[in-house]
Amino acid sequence: MIRLSKRYRFFASHRLHSEALTEEENQRTFGKCNNPHGHGHNYEVEITVAGDVDPVTGRVVDIRALDGIAEKTILKPLAYRNLNQEVAAFQKIVPTTENLGVELYSRLRSSWAGTFGTDGPRLEMVRIWETDRNICEITNRNE
Amino acid sequence: MIISKKVEFSAAHICRSEQLSDEENERIYGAAANPLGHGHNYVVEVAVEGEPDPVTGMILDLKRLKDLLEEKVLEVYDHRLLNREVPPFDHVVPTVENIAIDIWNRVDPLLTGRARLHSIKVLETNELSVEYRGGK
Repeated sequence: MIRLSKRYRFFASHRLHSEALTEEENQRTFGKCNNPHGHGHNYEVEITVAGDVDPVTGRVVDIRALDGIAEKTILKPLAYRNLNQEVAAFQKIVPTTENLGVELYSRLRSSWAGTFGTDGPRLEMVRIWETDRNICEITNRNE
Repeated sequence: MIISKKVEFSAAHICRSEQLSDEENERIYGAAANPLGHGHNYVVEVAVEGEPDPVTGMILDLKRLKDLLEEKVLEVYDHRLLNREVPPFDHVVPTVENIAIDIWNRVDPLLTGRARLHSIKVLETNELSVEYRGGK
């Protein structure tokens, strides 16, 4: 078994604000990320796949298919978007790095079998960098 | 406890299998199937697992590990065309997956004493990397 990781990036804006909290609580919890006009990040996403190396191709996963699923489920729908206003999942929940990571994982998970089948390489982990210093990791152990 | 050492080498490779048609090679490897080859600056992270020696406070002598990587990996791989100059890549496609497995096979038998090889991570680019922990 070997793990392969491929990294992608996209730019998007968000605002950290919860309807369940008061203005004051929102301010205290999210600080400047609560700015009503929103702000943005250069997000990086790393998708880690696990499986066996094909003896003929020397590959654990068809990298073009991996690029394809990343493009279709993450990059195309999220790049240059306002996450709160344009992505359905964040109408109700706050687009923190944690929630965004879970959303990306679940988007990949729902398209995975359609792309790679059930015997193919497994989705093992999604890591998301909001900045160089703020990273969140979701593994299939959380399922 | 796991300690890791990072080394780098630069090499050329051709991702192409003789068992596949030109069309299949193109589809699977894209531009990397160019029969004239291309190259990368590879980064290798070798992680070793063990308990520190109570006297030296070290899992293993890192200088020894560095010399061993220098001799058994870098001298073999650095500034080479892998397909022509580094076996088994005369008959195994030098994908980043197979490079990690080959480095594991070169390093693992040489670690003796309290340290054992935990993983070989190879970054082919900033975007593409693999991690191999041995076995099937």
